[in-house]
Amino acid sequence: MSIYYYLSAFLFCLGLLGTIFKKDLISILLCLELMLGGVALLFILFSKATGFLDSQLLVIFMMIISACEVAIGLSLIIALYRKKQTIYTDDIKIITE
Amino acid sequence: MAIDILLTLLTVVFSLMVVFSKKTVVAAFSLLMTLLVIAMIYFQLGTVFLSAVQVLVNAGAIAILFVFVMMLINLEQFQNNREKSKWKLIVSTLTMLVLLGVFALVINNNIEALSVVNLTDNSMKTLFAKLFDVYYLPFEMATVLLLASIVASIVITSHDKAEKLEEK
Repeated sequence: MSIYYYLSAFLFCLGLLGTIFKKDLISILLCLELMLGGVALLFILFSKATGFLDSQLLVIFMMIISACEVAIGLSLIIALYRKKQTIYTDDIKIITE
Repeated sequence: MAIDILLTLLTVVFSLMVVFSKKTVVAAFSLLMTLLVIAMIYFQLGTVFLSAVQVLVNAGAIAILFVFVMMLINLEQFQNNREKSKWKLIVSTLTMLVLLGVFALVINNNIEALSVVNLTDNSMKTLFAKLFDVYYLPFEMATVLLLASIVASIVITSHDKAEKLEEK
């Protein structure tokens, strides 16, 4: 069971790596999902180790929030694609311009 | 123990494919496989309900939603026409390794306390008794949040009147 702790840390760090260096917005959202998966796994492991069921309930709420995040993120990507015809982060310089 | 190592290896391989595959569609399917293997890990840990929810919600809905959006925006025209920045990759890899080292150190120091299984009652009955008793208000708020995200995604993606006038 203890190997899963390292796995969840690895998933979180790999997701962070992808979020930093990926350039298209869809891949960034995919990597965010990876990070959330790692954290959810950690919550379940803590629930096993400490004996509290609350961590498992937190995982349920995390799933709800990640579903909302993905739905809104993807609809924002579609809206951006309609306006600018791009999904790359270095094409979007609305704030700096 | 062997099944633990097998599941860990599978997750590592598929998650590496999510980040390092060239095609975004392959990355999305690798994410689907990663989420399915994580669901298997949940099953292995004894949290059967969360495993089922993971398959239904995360793997079944979210990963397919990614593929659907890729179909909508015609991703093929974006493939491989960008210069890769080596510097950014090196810096982010270093960040990842440092963070992973810190995490591994923390886990290593507490591994004995963390490896104990203290959870005695793992049944769905106790889980839901707690969900609808202590966590009743957050549960209701979560439903409101889901409703708000449905409305928000409809509003964001729909054409507004000003845009239609511009098109005319």
